[in-house]
This record gives sequence, structure tokens and C-alpha cells, in this order.
Amino acid sequence: MAYKYYKDNRAFIEACLKTGDAIEVNEEVDWDLEMGAIVRRTCEKKGPAVFFKNIKDYPGFQCVGAPIATYRRLAIALGMDPNSKVPEISAEYLKRTADESKGLPPKVVTNAPCQQVVLQGDDASLWNLPAPMVHDGDGGRYIGTWQFVVAKDLDTPFVNWGMYRQMAFDEKTMAGPVLPFSDMGKMWHNKYQPKNIPMPFAVVVNPDPLSAIASCAPAGIAEAEFTSLLMGEPVEVTKCITSDLYVPAHAEIIIEGVLVPNVTIDEAPFGEYTGYRTSPREKRTVYRVNCITMRKNPIMAMSNMGVPTDEGQILRSFSLALELDKLLRAQGIPITGVYMLPESTHHLMVVGVKPIYTNIATQIAQLAWGSKLGPWFHMVVVVDEKTDIYSKDELIHALSTKCHPVRGIRVTEHGVGSPLNPFASPEERVYSRAPKVLFDCTFPLEWPQSMVPIKVSFDSVYPKEIQERVLAKWNTYGFKD
Amino acid sequence: MAEYDTYIVGDFKDMVEDVETVTVIRDLTPGKKKYNSMYAKVLISKDEKKYPNTLRVRLGRGQLVDKGCSVDVVEIVNVIPPGL
Repeated sequence: MAYKYYKDNRAFIEACLKTGDAIEVNEEVDWDLEMGAIVRRTCEKKGPAVFFKNIKDYPGFQCVGAPIATYRRLAIALGMDPNSKVPEISAEYLKRTADESKGLPPKVVTNAPCQQVVLQGDDASLWNLPAPMVHDGDGGRYIGTWQFVVAKDLDTPFVNWGMYRQMAFDEKTMAGPVLPFSDMGKMWHNKYQPKNIPMPFAVVVNPDPLSAIASCAPAGIAEAEFTSLLMGEPVEVTKCITSDLYVPAHAEIIIEGVLVPNVTIDEAPFGEYTGYRTSPREKRTVYRVNCITMRKNPIMAMSNMGVPTDEGQILRSFSLALELDKLLRAQGIPITGVYMLPESTHHLMVVGVKPIYTNIATQIAQLAWGSKLGPWFHMVVVVDEKTDIYSKDELIHALSTKCHPVRGIRVTEHGVGSPLNPFASPEERVYSRAPKVLFDCTFPLEWPQSMVPIKVSFDSVYPKEIQERVLAKWNTYGFKD
Repeated sequence: MAEYDTYIVGDFKDMVEDVETVTVIRDLTPGKKKYNSMYAKVLISKDEKKYPNTLRVRLGRGQLVDKGCSVDVVEIVNVIPPGL
């Protein structure tokens, strides 16, 4: 049974406009920094998405900025009430995706909207698209910030949809990092490139929101099948013009071409999801363009990475946490849940657990860092089952009072990490190395019960009948809440 | 006279001048093709009047150097293999 969802981002934008979670800007805006500045500011204010209707130099094009930069818009994308709380959105996501074996292959359609306009030859120029200059100082115009790359493995049927950024270098060339521990990086660096074989790609710019969410999710199945779990029915795809790849039929713009083996060109710097411009100008993977297809009156999309909160931080935090939730439950760990604070730029994972044996926190951290998700975060905080993992107040309180500064903090020196970590040394960035740290906020089980400090809160140090009496008479006392 | 910019990884004080070097320059001409990048053999000077084109210099993380420079574009260099 299909869930309520939006087949394309046009319908999603419409829904956000109705709830006040998006605004239309009819005034002409410049793709060169002005759109970026507007989107950056709305992200920092946790404001609405922005639907630009009139872009300088690009009549006929529109652009949406910050499409899912709030939990409200994530709830709308999932067909939920925008007022849904994070635990409710998480529960819905887990319900839909719990059984990955139920993922359905995509449904192939013809006459797809994303191929209403086809540009080939000289017309397939990246400068025919309103790629924004997102931040002043960026190494180029970033065409790929709210998009994903479709790529097929060389010798297995596996197809990856992954969000890898792309900078427009010239009219036919894009460049971007393809990290060796990513799904596409494993295909590219281990298989295609050593054999000097160009790898076909398709960049899906401004996909429907659930396909975009799936492309950010570190799931155990192909992202197209994962999308079907979120939709409740197969996602519709269509065959590319120049390759055997299939792309979401209702996306706005598709860029087709090949990754060029054993050639790298300058890319970056770029304002990144960590809120810094960390990785310098470096030689990166080359994407060569041979075809562009799009809908009529196409809508470009922009995610503006920077200090919280943008959709990279919301979606990666959300999906990383919930995939780690599945992983830990599958291992029989008695967790209450996993949450990643978007403000941590998905670097800090909070886990609630019933500490039924000694060093369970260490086991949790080792499982998390040892998974394929491990490179993306380096801090794990483990709290007991009575702590609300979604409450920053409770998290800070637990961290400050229950985590022993020596015994409770455990450092793992030689982990795999992202080169985008702002704290990393230049050498650590080159080799994707990162130390990891666990903050164990559980009291040691070996302490006698009489020695364990008692938490002093309304819920814990008053008899139930007193609590009920106080709550029943709360407004009578004169309180307004 | 055109206007370009370039990124250098090291310090501005160490930037090589008056020697033909292959580097990436970006065309800053306003319009749809602004920021088009190219590999080019160039001559660069910290004297903003020495060569025919204006050059702005940025450091590796995008910081713009205040001092204006100049550049002569000797030839465009294609780094992509033919046929791709």
C-alpha cells in the first residue's frame, strides 16, 4: 500500500507553500551569490524553503533552495503532519524501512517528464543551467548540491544512488570528491579506474523528496529499492538517453556522461556540511558531460551547506542515527534509541541503553564505528535508558555529571574519518584518518546499589500520588502552562 | 583586457612570477559563462600592470588576496583525453 508522498518536488514545494514552510520569491535574483546568501540566511534562521521564480540570465528556469532543511519539511516529505515530533518521524521512518527484504525494484516508464527537453552536442552545456555560486570563495558554481549520482557497479547488478557534490569546471566538465569508502568510491577506485574504464553516470538534480532522502540514507539495499519502502510502492524510473542507467522519471534535470579514469582536475574549496570550508583546492574526480535532459520550465535545486541547519545535516543525522538504531537492535543491544543532533553536523551520536552488563557503551561505540557508517562520525555518547536522547538539556546534564573525565572517556586513535573534518590535521585529511571518542554516561554496574547517586527530578523523587496531585492542580496553583 | 582569478595552495609571498606555469584560471566575465575554468599556460606578476589581463588571487580555502595581480594567458591546455 502506497503511503502519502510527493511524486515530484513540484508537488512537494506546493505542499510546503500551503503550510508556510516555503515562500515564493518573484523578484529577479542573481545566481551569482544572491540566491546562495538568501538560502544560507533562511537555513541559519531555521526559516522556510525558498522558491525562486525569476533567475538572472536564465529565463524559464526556477530554483528551490533549502528544500528539507527542517524536521517540519522532512515530516511533510513523508506525508506526515508538519508538527510531528522527531521521535514520531523517526518511528514512521523505522516502520517503513524495518524490513529491507520488502524493497521493490523500480518501475520503468517511458515518456518521462525528466526527458521533455533533451540537449546533446554543444547544447549539452552546463552553462545552460543556472548552477549557483553558492558561497563567495567557492572554487566554482556547484551544480550538484541537492542531487544524487546514479552509477552501476562494473561486475555486479548493484546500482548506487549517492549524494556526491559536483562543481561545474567548464561547459562539459564537473569535478568532485568520490571518497574511497563511499559506495560509488568502492566501484570507481577499486574496479573501473584500475582497468581504465570510463564509468557512466547520471546526475539527478532536484529529485522527488523521498528519492533524495533515500540517496542520503546509508541503507543495506540499493537506494531505488529503499525509496520504494519509503513510498510504499516502486519508484518510477526511466532509461537514460546515452547509457543503460535508469533515473527517477519525475526529477527536474538529468546530467549524463562518464567519469574519466586516471585524470583529476582542481575542485573546491566549498562551504561544507561541517560549517567550514575545510578541504582545500585539490585534484578530484572528473565527470564529463555528454547529454542533459530536463522537464519543461525546469526547477534547479540548491542546498547551501554551512553552519546548522541545512538538509545535509538534517537528513544525514536522521538517517545515520536510524540505520545505527537498526544495526544495534539487530545485535541484540537493549537500546532505547539513537539520535544524532543536526547541530553536530552528524558527528555526535547519542544512544540510550539499559546498561545490563559492564562496558556495554564500549561495545556500542565499537559496533557503530566498525560499520560502514563509521567514517562519518567520531563522537558517541551513551546514556542510560531513563535519559531522553532527544533532549539537549538532559544530554548536557548526563554528560556533565555522569561521564567520568578519565574512566568515562575512551579514545580510539586510529579510525577511518572524513577528510572534511575541520579538526583533522592536514595529514589525517589526506589519509582519511580520524580518532574517535566515546563518552560513557552510565554509572558503573559494579558499584553497590547503595553507592549509586539518585537523580533528583520531579519524576524520580516524589511519590506517584504526589506527582498526580500536583499535576492535577497545576493550573489551580496559578501556572499558565 | 579580461579578468581572471586563480587559486594557490601555498602562501601568496611564494607565488611564482614571470615563469610560464600551467595552472587553472577562471574567467570572471559577467554572464552565463562566468567562472568557466580552464587549465592554461600563464605568466603571472604581482605587478597589476605588467601583463594584459587582471588576475585576482585566492588562497586554498577561498580567501581573496587584497593585492591585484596581472596575467598573460600563453595557451589553453586540454587535460581531458580526446574522445571523452
